Amino acid sequence: MKRNVAIAVLLFWFSTGALPSRLWAQAIKATPEIFKQFSEHVVKIEVVESGSAAKASIGTGFFASARGDIVTNYHVVSKLIHSADRYRIEVTDPSGQSSPAKVLGVDVVYDLAVLRTDRHPKGFLTLETKPIEQGTRLYSLGHPRDLGLTIVEGTYNGLLRHTLYPKVLFTGSLNPGMSGGPTLTHAGTVIGVNVATEGEQISFLVPAERALALLEKTARVENRPGNGFLAEVGQQIQANQARYLSGMFSSKTPSISFGPYTLPTKPADFFRCWADAVRRKELPYVAVTHDCSTDDYIFVSSEQSSGIVRFYHQLLSTAELYPSQFFNLYSAQVQAGNTAVFGNEEEVTPFRCQTRNVQTQTGKVKAVLCARQYVKLPGLYDAVFRVATLGATNVGLVSTLNLSGVSFENIEALSRRYMESIKWRR
Amino acid sequence: MAPLGYVEILDAKGNVTERVRIDSFPVQVGRAYGNHVVVNDPYVCPVHLAIESDESGRLFARDLESVNGLRRGVDGDRVSVLELHSGAPFRIGRTLLRFCSVDHTLAPTLIDRQTQASWLASSYAAPIAGLIILLLLCLDSFLGSVERVTVAKVVSEPLMTLSMLLGWAGLWALASRIVVSRFHFAEHVAIACAAIFGFLVLSTLSEWLEFFFPVIPALWMAGFLGSGVILAGLVYGHLSRASAMRRRSRLWAALLVSGAAIGLSLIIDFANRSKFSNVMEYTGIVKPIDAAWLPSTSVNQFMENTEKLKKELDLLAQKARATQP
Repeated sequence: MKRNVAIAVLLFWFSTGALPSRLWAQAIKATPEIFKQFSEHVVKIEVVESGSAAKASIGTGFFASARGDIVTNYHVVSKLIHSADRYRIEVTDPSGQSSPAKVLGVDVVYDLAVLRTDRHPKGFLTLETKPIEQGTRLYSLGHPRDLGLTIVEGTYNGLLRHTLYPKVLFTGSLNPGMSGGPTLTHAGTVIGVNVATEGEQISFLVPAERALALLEKTARVENRPGNGFLAEVGQQIQANQARYLSGMFSSKTPSISFGPYTLPTKPADFFRCWADAVRRKELPYVAVTHDCSTDDYIFVSSEQSSGIVRFYHQLLSTAELYPSQFFNLYSAQVQAGNTAVFGNEEEVTPFRCQTRNVQTQTGKVKAVLCARQYVKLPGLYDAVFRVATLGATNVGLVSTLNLSGVSFENIEALSRRYMESIKWRR
Repeated sequence: MAPLGYVEILDAKGNVTERVRIDSFPVQVGRAYGNHVVVNDPYVCPVHLAIESDESGRLFARDLESVNGLRRGVDGDRVSVLELHSGAPFRIGRTLLRFCSVDHTLAPTLIDRQTQASWLASSYAAPIAGLIILLLLCLDSFLGSVERVTVAKVVSEPLMTLSMLLGWAGLWALASRIVVSRFHFAEHVAIACAAIFGFLVLSTLSEWLEFFFPVIPALWMAGFLGSGVILAGLVYGHLSRASAMRRRSRLWAALLVSGAAIGLSLIIDFANRSKFSNVMEYTGIVKPIDAAWLPSTSVNQFMENTEKLKKELDLLAQKARATQP
């Protein structure tokens, strides 16, 4: 009897411990084969400055059809989209042969682009849209920092929750230069397109179905002028706005109590909100902040992003300062942060502002709306809308709404709803 | 014997530099020491000119065949004989002369403005003005601080300002000593205090105005025009103590200095505005006041106004697109 139990225990030990280690061994063995088998479909993409013939940016792409369509990221080729006359694209396959390529289509919202070269590929990678299990081993290919074609192992961790745009969480180390490269299963089907990393093995992929959709859209396209895409980029961003801006700050938006104020918070799942307070003994006032912003943004160019919505409330109060002193502090807070971090003359106009004292439902506020227009993408604007409550002598609220890359109609609608969603007891 | 008149030697501005009493005619004018009127001018001949009277008492200047001749008025024609009228200038070489008879009509006596503004010269004016400014600056510094304050913190900056003010007044006093032989230090201090008072009032007023009516760029206007007026007043005041300039000349000098300052800052402002920047130009001034007192617009009006903003941006973008390749 005792012997039987011992055998059973041994079997169990072998079956639990030995079996996974055998699979593990297989996986390790598979990586060189995967590299050997699929790397020939992966190419290096260089955006070359025409004048100096030097590369301005590099990325990765892969053949995704027999026609020679190459899938990559929009941000890899964005320089060419913005200045078609100044840049060209060169594609280098693993054998080292370079050939020029043209852009067939872009999806700026999902950060994808389809290119085509004149050369016919030996083969191509297929895109997989069926869901796979969390924990599945994946292999990412690309040219990290232009160091040559590299394979990176990682794990599939499903689609990110609470994001505006679906993204695959890939726990593996993607690095700059691998953008646009494929992430495959061991069978060689592409699960996603490398797009971003947050370091420490946190990387993101564009789901394969988005790339498939763009490939289908561009299947019948033969030739496109290089400078025609900017208008399309603008249209795609315009069309995408309704998705996330409609209804934002409506009466259904949740609110928080902040001293005597009732303020909007977390208008949608894809917002993240943080709060903090400055309460120090040496300071005769208290500052409390509540900050909400979307995690996702649309890469437009190296100095421009669209689709970011951020709003923050700053509550200042004092029991010590005289009204005149407190209002110096308050004025400085209303003025603070009046410089945009990004923006250059080629891409945006300077800001223009409108300041008024406005009577809202619950009281008077100083309202400031500053906006600037995108030069290359007509109809899109950045805006900062700031409201400061008036009337009290020892408490004040500065609330700011930042919008980037939205239409003026949306700026107006959101500013109005935002102003109306700020209420307080007197 | 009563004199018949005077020959006056004038400087370029027409001010009399020398006056020679004339008891009889003819009078000889020239560089030589034997003349009645000796002119120190290398362009004048040793014996250059004679002033003679005829039987009817009319006076004539006669060129004595000089090298550079006799000229009518300041820059008139060369003549050999010129009838002289009392007070009318004529030129020999590079020297202006005139003859004034004893019955020459004089300009009315000027009223001495300096004695009218005597409160400035009073020994109390400067200390009182200084004290008021110090107190105002301390109040400003106290109300402007947003941290817990100590007396030293509140007083240090105003004292610094006051000492700079004293230095400024000292420089003007030195200029006064050189030009009009008196220091007038206390008066210069009082004038500088008045200017600082003006700046304080102006900045407070413009802040409130900007807060009440955000449409009016009150701070911007105060920065240029208001400061310009105060600067002009300051220069005018200091010059009244530091120079013998007439009222009108002082006014011109003051306007010129402040005009130049305004012009220069406007040019700099324009250059900054036409340069691309990521700064949002608005003023965040808010004041502690009962909201009922504050003029305001409705939410709808605010939103309607944004159309103007949009048009302005569209224009800017169009311009930017036109200039880009």
